[in-house]
This record gives sequence, C-alpha cells and structure tokens, in this order.
Amino acid sequence: MTGQTSKPRDLKAISPWQRLLVLTMATFTIAPFAPLIIQSLAFRWAWPNILPTVWWHEQRERSPFPLAWDYVFSPSSRVGEATINTLGIGIAVTLLCLLICLPAARVLAQRNFHGKSQLEFLIALPLLLPEAAIGIALLMIFIALGLAGTYAGVIVVHLIPTIPYMVRMLTAVYQGHGTEAEDHARILGANRSQIFFRVTLPMILPGVIAGCLFTFLVSTNLFLLTFFIGQGHIITLPTLLFAKISGGALDATGAGIALIASIPGIILLIFTDRFIRNYPLAE
Amino acid sequence: MQRTKPLIRQMLLASTLAVVSWSGVAQAMNAPGVFRSEFLKGNLGWEDVTARAREEGSVNFYYWGGSDIINLWVDQVATPALAAEGVRLNPVRITATKDTVDVVIAELAAGRGEEQGSVDLVWVNGENFYSLKQQNALWGAFANRLPNSVNFEWDENDPRSLLNLRDFGVKTGFQEMPWSGEQYVCSVNRAHVSAENTPATFAQLKTYLEANPGKFTYVKPPHYLGNTFVQSVLYAHNPDGTGAEPYQKSFEELGSVELARLMEPGIEYLKSIEPLLLGGASGKPRYPENSGELDNLFLNSEVHFNCKFGVFGNHNGLITGAYPEQAEEMIFPAGNMIKNKNYLAVPLNSPHPAAALVAINYFSSVEAQATKLKTAGMPVGLDLWRLSEEEAAEIATSAPPHYGVTQQQLDDNIAPDTNASLVDVIEATWLAVIERKEDKPLADIVAQVSGELNN
Repeated sequence: MTGQTSKPRDLKAISPWQRLLVLTMATFTIAPFAPLIIQSLAFRWAWPNILPTVWWHEQRERSPFPLAWDYVFSPSSRVGEATINTLGIGIAVTLLCLLICLPAARVLAQRNFHGKSQLEFLIALPLLLPEAAIGIALLMIFIALGLAGTYAGVIVVHLIPTIPYMVRMLTAVYQGHGTEAEDHARILGANRSQIFFRVTLPMILPGVIAGCLFTFLVSTNLFLLTFFIGQGHIITLPTLLFAKISGGALDATGAGIALIASIPGIILLIFTDRFIRNYPLAE
Repeated sequence: MQRTKPLIRQMLLASTLAVVSWSGVAQAMNAPGVFRSEFLKGNLGWEDVTARAREEGSVNFYYWGGSDIINLWVDQVATPALAAEGVRLNPVRITATKDTVDVVIAELAAGRGEEQGSVDLVWVNGENFYSLKQQNALWGAFANRLPNSVNFEWDENDPRSLLNLRDFGVKTGFQEMPWSGEQYVCSVNRAHVSAENTPATFAQLKTYLEANPGKFTYVKPPHYLGNTFVQSVLYAHNPDGTGAEPYQKSFEELGSVELARLMEPGIEYLKSIEPLLLGGASGKPRYPENSGELDNLFLNSEVHFNCKFGVFGNHNGLITGAYPEQAEEMIFPAGNMIKNKNYLAVPLNSPHPAAALVAINYFSSVEAQATKLKTAGMPVGLDLWRLSEEEAAEIATSAPPHYGVTQQQLDDNIAPDTNASLVDVIEATWLAVIERKEDKPLADIVAQVSGELNN
C-alpha cells in the first residue's frame, strides 16, 4: 500500500525452502477443513475410501428424516438460535472486556507501582485453570447472585477467561507507543476525551482490534462455562456441537454444525486482517 | 354447664382453625412445596395437576442431544402434542447427563430449593439416578400415580416388574418413570462374516478370532457399554452354570471371596482373548472409549462386530449411515443379552413440577411410545402385557425392522442387569487385571478393590 517496496513478490520468486514452509502452513490451516466439508456432505464414509461411498444427496430421497445439511438447516437443529446467541454474547463480551481492559492496560503499561509484576501474573491465572474445575463453584456463586440461566450471567462468566488475553494484548500496544504523542496533545490544549479519541485510540487501534478478535474467538468457543452458567437454557454453537460429538464420532450434521461454528471466526479474521494491513499507522 | 362451656369453646376453636387452615391451604397452593406435598399425600386429582400445569406453562426437559432422530421426534412429535395440552416443552440438549445432575446438586447446595431450580425433567438411569437419590435431590414417588401408570407393571410379586422397580439394582421408589427398554445387541458385518461363521457363544467368538485376529473389541470399562460386555462374559462363564442369578445379589450378600470365585473363569477368558482383540497382536489391544468410536471401527471394517445397547441400534445405524451397508444383528451371547431400562426423573427443585408430571404422563402414553419407536428407533419403556390388544398391535406395527434376527429371538435371550453394588467392583477388577495387569490371585484383587470402593 505504501510505495513500490511492498509490492507482493511472486511465489516462484521465493526460495524453495520458503515455499515449502508456506505450503506446510497452508496445509495445516486448510487441511482440517477438507475432511470436515466432505463429511458434512457424506452419508456413509468408511475407511479406506478417500471419498464417501454414499453421499448425502444420493440418500436424501430415501431417508425417512432430514439428513446432513437438511437437518442443520431445519428448525430442529436450533442452529439459527445458537448462531444468534453466539454472536450476540461474543459481541457483548468483547465490548465489555474492552471497556474494562483499556484503563487497566494503560496503568499496567505506563505506571510503575508496588506489586505490579505480581498483579500481572495474577491476571493471567484464569488462563491456567481448566473450565471444568471452576464451573460448578462459579455456578453456585452465580445462583446466589441471581445470574444463573441468564444472558447477563453468561456474558459475565465469559469475561473470566477473556480478560487476561485482552489485558496482555493492550498492555503490549500501550508499551509500544509511550506517552509522548498524548503529552503533545495535552500541551496543545486538547481535553481528555479529545486525547483519547483523536490521539491514543488511533495509535493503539491495531492492538485493540487484535485483542477484540481474540476475545471474540475465545468467547464463541467456550462450552462448559456456557453450559453451567446458562444451565442449558442458553444454546450457543459450542454447546450444540458438544452435544453432537459426545458420541465420539463426527457425523454429517456434526460436521455441518462445526463448519457453521467456524464461519464467524473466519469472516472476522479476514476483516481484521484487511483492516490491520491497510491501517495507515501500522508499521 | 361448667363442662359444656369449654366443650363449645373447643368446638368453636376447632372449626375456626379448620376454616382458617383450609383457606390457608387454598391460598398457599402456590407457595413452594405445597403442590408437591399435596400431590404426594394423594390430595390432588389429575385435573388439579393438568390445571396447574397449564398455569406453569412450560417444562424444561434435559436429555442427551446427540441423536438427530431423537431430536427430531422431540421437536416434531412431542412438542406439538404437549402444546395441545397447554404445556410448552423446552428441550435442553445436553452432552452428559452427569453435567445436569451436577447443576441440580449445585442449585440445591446454593439454597435453590423446591420450585426454584432450573431442571424439570431429566432422562437418566444407573449411576446418575443413584447420585440424585443419594443427594435427596428427587421430587418424590409419582410414577405409579399418573393416568398412564397403568401401562406399566408395578406389582412386586410379578418378576416382570423388576425393571420398573429397580434401576441397576437400585430401588427406583417410583421416583422415576420407565422411558425406554434397551437390550445389549451385537451387530455383524456380513461383508466379512458368513452366517455359519457367526459366533453365538464366547468360545465360538474366540475360535473366530483365532482365524481372524484383531477383528473384535469392546468399549472400555468403566463406560457402561464395556461394563455390560464384561458382565455378559461373567454370566456365561459362571462356574456353577447359574448365569446371571448370583449377580443379582448385593456385594454384602455375596462377599468378595464368593464373587472372586464366580468371576475367575470369566476374567480368565477376557485375559485370553486380549491378544486376539484389535491391536492385540502388537501387544496393545485397543479398547474404544465410547460407542461412537466403536461404530467408526465397525464402519471402517477394522472390526467385524459391534456390541452396544440398542434393540434397534442396527436399524438406526443403517438409516444414519453410521453402520456398514451389510450390518445385521446377531444372537450373541446366546441367553446372556442383558436388558435394562432408562427413565425420566423429576428433580426436587423442579420449577414446573405439575408440567413435568403432565409431560411424563404424555411420554408414557401408547401414542408417544409408538411414535418414538417408529421415528426415533427407541424401544418402548412400557410393558406390552399391560396394554389392550389394539394398543399392543399399534406398538408392533410401529417397530422398525430387525435384520437377520427376530424380536422373538431377542426376547428369548434376555438376561438381567448386574446389581449396582457389584458393577463398581467388577469394573475396578477389570481395570486392575486387564488394564494395569496386576498379577495377583483374583480373590486378593477383588478384596482389595472392594475395600478401596468402600472407603
């Protein structure tokens, strides 16, 4: 975007070694999706056949019930409700998390105080605790607070594993920028909100976007905490998916739901990637 | 005079009290717990229950949501049928029933008592029911008091009532209603195994595996499917030739020495087939963790047989594509095909208990059981001999087909489940002998694991 230097080089122009690395990375990213897509279109797919012996569309007319994508798109699969819940909760969690973490990260990055490193360590602790270990204890607390089984409760509980990511991400960008630009703005007479919206935010925006992306992805993948605090009433794509794959094998509808569950993340990744690359202040 | 005055006063007082308490009851019918105690005392008619159910409006039904065909039946058949009775069915699909049991117990511990919980109805059996019962988390004895209770055998003197009164040997106490009766049935892939080569006994299975090593495995205990396989091996190898009979006793009645003596030949058999199981040739037999994994091995022809609970498991596997095209049922192990039931229970803190009873009553109807059988491939939980001829015929015509065997053959080879107190000991013994390869006399191992379980 900025001049001739960043003109993309032809894939052939890079060394064979680099090409191999790119190919390996591409395999690791794309490979899991290929069998998932085939599985979602299969009726009977047995080893060692590379492709299903009977496809969904061949069995469709004969089947006494909706198969594969017919089931995924039928109201009985409850995929629609789950998608809306997943997105809504994910967005709410991301915004709340950002609101909490922006000031916290600023303090952690720009101020020095007693016990700061210990505090940074403590903030990371929730990442180390398995959901299963804290789910029931949290449920009892949430029942006492009257939050169990509510959207508010699920959103609050999703903040627990997402705040550490967001804080780390934002602390890093704040540290990368220092306070000089803000000081200049203050000297020139800008007030606090002007400084924040005109100076600070544009500077740290790529970090904010990356933090939001992580938060959203973590939130939309939480199963056990969502189930416990939502008491099963609040269905999200992960809770649907877990109910499907508990048998140990992924059938066509399970694969279909898994693909749907990955769509919001993919769209978001593409969007943020574009945004960060085209961002004028990005290095 | 002096005597009559206090008498009149007493009578007056008593009648006032009666009026006050009666109106109190009428008002307090909506207070938490009153509906439950009045119903359990037998003070309420079915019309009172249905009226209250319509007031409550909805019922939260927690059930394992891993099967598309069951989900479709719940959505397309049960939900509209209950809506017609004024109750909105709210199906909550869960991954593991244990999670729901945990939710109920946590709610009770957090002080969410009667009518303040979140679960109205849960599909359970075995140890999950046992946990709810142990924690006093069940609503009460309702199963013999619903209009459709007539479809079940409750007479203790009739041995056929056993599966309605005992869940893995634990007394149900009418606190859960039978919902479906399952049997441990094996399927065979006819692409690899001819009818004359199909084993009917464990000895024949071993012969088959000697010719075709690695083509069989069973789900790993402590999964209930694995436990069931081990139990059927023990029944068949009972040194007294009395099959399942001694395994109906509790551990206390039987004692560890006697149990070890009964188990010895069966455990020896399990040890002897280990090298012949999937992966056994390389010294690492592979036991799948659950039925989904075993289904996959069966579909991929890695094994030739698939044993699990499911009278119509073969049919369901064929219509969902989970089984190979040439899968057929087989009678194996002859005479020792374990049968049990699964149930619907109401937790103590159910927020809509009347609606839960109405839902259970519907689920126990001939109509619901017949459609569930037909579309979800779930065997009926009610007892056919309790039905009228037309009703029994309706059930019979709704049944999905069998492949290679008849319903009569399946019925002829039924064996009862093992007493719940023995299940844990047998499971721990398997883990010690087969998984950890402990090389000690079996009696010592049984004594040791039972001692550990009791502490």
